[in-house]
Amino acid sequence: MNEMEIDTPLENTPRSLAAAVGATVLLEACGGGGASGNGSANNPTPTPTPAAEASLLASYEAARFLQHAQFSSSEAEIAAIKLQGASAWLDEQMALTSSTGGYDWLMQRGYGAIDKNRFYEMEYQSNYMAWYQIMAAPDGVRRRMALALSEFFVVGGAGVSTISWPMFVMGAYWDVLCKNAFGNFRTLLEDITLNIGMGEYLNTLGNQKEDVASGRLPDENYAREVMQLFTIGLLQLNLDGTPKLGTNGQPIETFTQVDVSNLARVFTGYESDNSEGYSQSAVAPTYSLRNVGYTRRPMVLNANRHSNLRAEFLGVVVEAGTDGKAALKTALDTLFNHPNVGPFFGRQMIQRLVCSDPTPAYVARVATVFNNNGKGERGDLAAVFKAILLDTEATSASGLTSTTFGKLREPMVRTAQWARTFKATSLKGTWKIGNPNYSAVDALGQSPMQSPSVFNFFRPGYVPPSTAMALSKATAPEFQLVNESTTASYINYLQNFLYQGMWVRAPELITSPDTATPTDGPDIVPDYSAEMALVGNPTALINRLNLLLCAGQLSAETVAMMVNALSYDNPSTENAKRGHVAKAIMFVMCCAEYLVQK
Amino acid sequence: MDTLHSANSRRDFLIRTGQTALTGWAAPWLLNMTAMGEAAAFTATDYKALVCVFLFGGNDYANTLVAYDDASYAKYATIRAAGSGSTTGMVLDKASLAATALIPNTPLPGGRQYALNPAMKGLTNLFNTGKAAVQLNVGPLIVPLTRAQYNTSDRSKYPLPPKLFSHNDQQSVWQSSSPEGSTMGWGGRMGDLSMGNNTDPLFTCISLTGNHVLLSGDSALQYQCSTSGAIAVRNLSDNFFNQAPMRDAFVSMLQQPRKHVLENEYNVVMKRGITAQAKVAQGLSTVNLSTVFAAGNSLADQLKMVARLIGARSSLGAKRQVFMVSLNGFDLHDYLNTKHGPLLQQVDEAMTSFYQATLELGVANQVTAFTASDFGRTLASNGDGSDHGWGSHHWMVGGAVKGAAFYGSAPPVSISDTAAPDDQWHVGQGRLLPSTAVDQYAATLAKWFGVSDSEMTTLLPNLKNFGLAAGRPDYPTNLGFMR
Repeated sequence: MNEMEIDTPLENTPRSLAAAVGATVLLEACGGGGASGNGSANNPTPTPTPAAEASLLASYEAARFLQHAQFSSSEAEIAAIKLQGASAWLDEQMALTSSTGGYDWLMQRGYGAIDKNRFYEMEYQSNYMAWYQIMAAPDGVRRRMALALSEFFVVGGAGVSTISWPMFVMGAYWDVLCKNAFGNFRTLLEDITLNIGMGEYLNTLGNQKEDVASGRLPDENYAREVMQLFTIGLLQLNLDGTPKLGTNGQPIETFTQVDVSNLARVFTGYESDNSEGYSQSAVAPTYSLRNVGYTRRPMVLNANRHSNLRAEFLGVVVEAGTDGKAALKTALDTLFNHPNVGPFFGRQMIQRLVCSDPTPAYVARVATVFNNNGKGERGDLAAVFKAILLDTEATSASGLTSTTFGKLREPMVRTAQWARTFKATSLKGTWKIGNPNYSAVDALGQSPMQSPSVFNFFRPGYVPPSTAMALSKATAPEFQLVNESTTASYINYLQNFLYQGMWVRAPELITSPDTATPTDGPDIVPDYSAEMALVGNPTALINRLNLLLCAGQLSAETVAMMVNALSYDNPSTENAKRGHVAKAIMFVMCCAEYLVQK
Repeated sequence: MDTLHSANSRRDFLIRTGQTALTGWAAPWLLNMTAMGEAAAFTATDYKALVCVFLFGGNDYANTLVAYDDASYAKYATIRAAGSGSTTGMVLDKASLAATALIPNTPLPGGRQYALNPAMKGLTNLFNTGKAAVQLNVGPLIVPLTRAQYNTSDRSKYPLPPKLFSHNDQQSVWQSSSPEGSTMGWGGRMGDLSMGNNTDPLFTCISLTGNHVLLSGDSALQYQCSTSGAIAVRNLSDNFFNQAPMRDAFVSMLQQPRKHVLENEYNVVMKRGITAQAKVAQGLSTVNLSTVFAAGNSLADQLKMVARLIGARSSLGAKRQVFMVSLNGFDLHDYLNTKHGPLLQQVDEAMTSFYQATLELGVANQVTAFTASDFGRTLASNGDGSDHGWGSHHWMVGGAVKGAAFYGSAPPVSISDTAAPDDQWHVGQGRLLPSTAVDQYAATLAKWFGVSDSEMTTLLPNLKNFGLAAGRPDYPTNLGFMR
């Protein structure tokens, strides 16, 4: 990307090290709290020692890495990384057993009950599941990668709402992503292909072979999207993700409609696995309801409905009469082994985790690891994610002073970061966080696992029109969500919970009554105790938020501006102090230097 | 393909408008928009608006505009009956179509007749009373094509639109002649040419449905308004920040110019939103519409706000506007029978109410709504749905539309692959090969809007391959559906 010369805007100066180090020293001297406020922004700043300065820089680096690798960066995690290094820490996190998954979590809450609530027909509560998973599930690294995968192998909740137990369908799909996040791409590809949620979403479920007599043909949806979106994309790529050009100088498309129509035959004959039996639904008119366990069983092949026609796609032939299982293996092996997968998948994972417009060299390094993890294995996802997160482009200091490097933090990732940084918890344990888009006035514009289509919330190739990015043709996918409505509604959304936490109707119930109840109120609440202890010392408060939320990426000018602004607010009561912290967080989470993660 | 190359045309625009004299580098969208707007290519004394109704997912043409004459209906019914053991498959019952049969002033050749989906009674009435028309088999084309030419390998002579049958790309191609990543659409280019007629150029191109390239021009920006109006940042006026200097610092931070391009762009949008919000709120405060729009219909919500914004055109200082609204859910690979009708009913109710609202506002002859979609779908059935296609049928509504008429050619009803004439207007499985290009469709709308013939190719780079001048009078650059 070409850097541009812009005459007026402020300098992106180096971090406010001296003041920040001083405040940290002060904070540590006070035992991490108890600094009593005098309402002044002009606390004397101790002269930092070189050792303290180096330590703070190392903390910023650690926090920066953590915010790429997961949703948040706690003081303990920062300390751990400073001690053992990012690579060893990451190995440790990847080795952790996956925590309670979406399916089990919903079951533990009680949504598996067959009763008058008719949970078996509801999808909405998958929002609670998904928000809990990204806001609070203990293994943040695995959850962060699963979220990135959910934006590549997209299933949106609204698209599965008409089959039985839809919330569990979503839970089971999320579990597939979590389970395979550090496994192999080929296994993941097969698992999502046969997953009932994906089957319903892209129509493999119930897809039938051709019927010559009537002219019926196989459904082509999955055949197209598994190529276009989940593996190889539309254009032949070089290892570095740039399109190969033909002799006419134009990009070369990877497949034609004929490939789609042929591959569609491979994905016929799949049905749900109903071996867990049936129950009667609870409310009249009653019907025979599949037991909930079917949602986590892979679809099964019904040979009678599977096409026996010859299928030719991407230069590979599945001969007529080939067994369905063998045909699937040929198809998925062909896709998995296509040279496009590494750069196509790798570039999008870089975009989700690190930066919007990675250099071709960065993509090539990641694709190389995809192609071979160093031990001869192709598609090792742990190795790919590690390569992305530890790449010099992700960690180098030059990214901090560049005028183009980074990405807009996704709205849902900001929310998860807030929750984890401030240890938000559901007081009643119900975690009833709905889709935060019910009202345009305070919409977040995004909710995990609720993409409006298989094309995700935004496109990897999106270039914001009428911007400096458009002039240099730089992709900035998240900007597809940025407009005059969403920039304002995001601030309103934050204001709804920064002070007291997220408001929930009847938090003690797993259901949500239509009308107000006496217990309506904040239920998903933050722990601001560490921040409230700093009220009265705005420098220390902002420095803390700068480290934990921004990895030290606020400029000295911005820190000074925020400190000065906060000095006008001199709270004395506990509630007012809580409000003061909410204001400080509002400043930080609406600041462009926070919103764009470097 | 890429004659709208952004950097070049932007430079041209700067030269044209004398803005190169400014010191340092600056893009048009950072300059004083009012001053930029004075570079308008044409002068408007009246008010006109175009409203694009985008049907996301690819609308199934065959069950939207249904073959109705006996011979065509029989073929349609046979093909679409291919179900999963069901005898009816995805066939709309002929009797159910009687109430939505379209009665054009001039019958189609060959005895061809059409009915709209039974859910579309309002639009049927608008068509039959001369306020709506149908454009048959329109879709992206770079050059006119026959099926044989589609199948040829000579792509230099017979280029295809890029990435056919792909949702995201064909949405982009419809809107901008280029696939995903494109940054300028024909609605936005119309905005470039006309914004000088508007007091505040920002209100030239308005989306009610998020960012879509149709409304992005060279200088014209797409302004986003929600169905609740322009959204205010609450804490700029409430007591969240209990101290004025604190609030002032916050407001200033939100709008601060930044050297980092991503940071800067975010703040630019934020600032634009804050500034525009007050004007829009003021403008809408005096608009009271009595026309009833259906509740629980997101398209109706959007079109109602468009109508209200049009009602506020004087206070917003607008003489030329392009709007975009949309409805999702048309990608019906399955559940076509149960889901398609209700979707079309939403479209029908919303567009019918919108026409009524333009009557109420006294601008029915000055506002034209038209549909667009990713692509049409297959005529062949996959059992309970249809798959990605190409050409489709679309409709235009408004007092300036020469209604009660079909434009373009009615495609034969067929899915077979023979050399017979009936098989020359699809490319397999009934995916229509467009007999009218999107460029022709857009040019006809743009001409009415005020764009001159000489400027037309700056909107529509492929238009030069169509019409009399290109030796293709069978693909006219003005389809004639506008008064």
